[in-house]
Amino acid sequence: MHISDGVLPVGAALASGAASLAIAAWSARRIQGEELPKVAVVTASFFVASLLHVPLGPTSVHLLIPGLVGVLLGRAAFLAIALGLVLQSLLFQFGGLTALGANALMMGIPALICGWLFQTFKGQARKRQVLVGGLAGGLGTVFSGLILALLLATGGEDFFGVARLALLAHVPVVAIEALVSAFTVSFLLKVKPELLQARDALHRES
Amino acid sequence: MTGTGPGDIIVATPGILPLVLLILAMAGALLVVGRRRAAAKRSGHSPEQNWSVPVVDGASQGQSLFHRWDARFKLVSLLGLAFFIVATRSLTAGLLALGLAAAALAAARIPWRRALRRLLAMTGFLAMFVVILPLTAVVQPGDTLLVFPEIARLPFNLRGLELALSICARALAVALLMEPLLATAPLSTTLEGLTRLGVPAKVGQMILLAHRYIFVFLEETRRMSTGMNVRGFRKRTHLETLRVMGNFLGMLFIRSLERTHRVFDAMQARGYEGEFPGHGQFQAAPADWLKGLFFIALGIALLVLDRLWLP
Repeated sequence: MHISDGVLPVGAALASGAASLAIAAWSARRIQGEELPKVAVVTASFFVASLLHVPLGPTSVHLLIPGLVGVLLGRAAFLAIALGLVLQSLLFQFGGLTALGANALMMGIPALICGWLFQTFKGQARKRQVLVGGLAGGLGTVFSGLILALLLATGGEDFFGVARLALLAHVPVVAIEALVSAFTVSFLLKVKPELLQARDALHRES
Repeated sequence: MTGTGPGDIIVATPGILPLVLLILAMAGALLVVGRRRAAAKRSGHSPEQNWSVPVVDGASQGQSLFHRWDARFKLVSLLGLAFFIVATRSLTAGLLALGLAAAALAAARIPWRRALRRLLAMTGFLAMFVVILPLTAVVQPGDTLLVFPEIARLPFNLRGLELALSICARALAVALLMEPLLATAPLSTTLEGLTRLGVPAKVGQMILLAHRYIFVFLEETRRMSTGMNVRGFRKRTHLETLRVMGNFLGMLFIRSLERTHRVFDAMQARGYEGEFPGHGQFQAAPADWLKGLFFIALGIALLVLDRLWLP
């Protein structure tokens, strides 16, 4: 779920935009200049992944995967997500340009937290890595929901009901995201474990 | 009634609520069916997943005041206008902004079908506000409440509805404005304009590259998904589907990372040093300034109108 234009008070929109800019600059600092094209290409694949729909009973939900992006990209995740959101608003999804900062915070901060959690607690055993990966995936969605609710609540008391509902809407998605993330981590461990070992996957093991 | 209580309480006749709900449900069902059918028609095959993504600069070849406008001025003034629009509060100002955006769209000669697709993507989120806000908005003095006898405990607050509709109007207005802003010049020109405005050149390059590779990976995804379907995979609500999706994502990431390294090597082999050569010519004519001032003035006028005269 993304926030669209005109929902947040203009102060909140501007403040979250400034905060996102600062975090994105911090996130970009770690990446060496010439490697930015790599972030761009990886971002494209996350963008495509976010178009995947998972059936859920009579309806379907699309994946957000902030947790998984964090697990794979570490600190570069925020930049990748901000970029992905720009592309979404460019391409078709939301006008979203005035709410870009808010959406970047909502998806990017969970990614940073989950990436850190994964790297800190993953340990060595395969089972544990899968478990922690799944937890990171699920938590990513929980955090996104919380930040979304907080942002909506900046609109004042009238918006508390909507904020609560938006948070509630994330609950069924949490389980799906956790499971898909766990399966993805398990697959990567089997096929290309070095992706999860390095602090971020952009640096080629040489 | 004055003081702390609500301004007006209107009690609806019994039977109205089920009727309203029925009409809403039918309209919703029609909309969903229509969207599904349209999506199936566009993609030509599977009705469940529509992979197509429209090209961002699809209408860049036209002729209009937006097409002839210097990208730098276009970016600054239309973004400025967007922020002025989201700063308004009243429904009237929102509707005015919506009219303004529609007029801009018509002036840019952009097909409605394109713009409509942008709007469709937002319907779910905005519908949530329209349904929830009237029921949950805090009752303030002067609010008009509509009480349905069937759900007397949940009064329908007309101020909440107005709030929700004003949000919708602003959201739709800004979404419509994106079309004249982004679709009326090739993406590379728009991004170069961004660079000339002081945004680091790297940002523009990354957007351009990512935009290009989205289509490559979409093609890859389509191929992988066709392969899975041929082998008998069907999405359903069960664990196996999630396991397959997890593997699918893993495969997509691995392939994209491998491609990333190859692309980067190829770029370096061709002399990439962190810059793309530019093509656009940027010369500010008086007309560019005039158009820019016009749109910023419109934004300011809208905001002043909203804060000073509109309720």
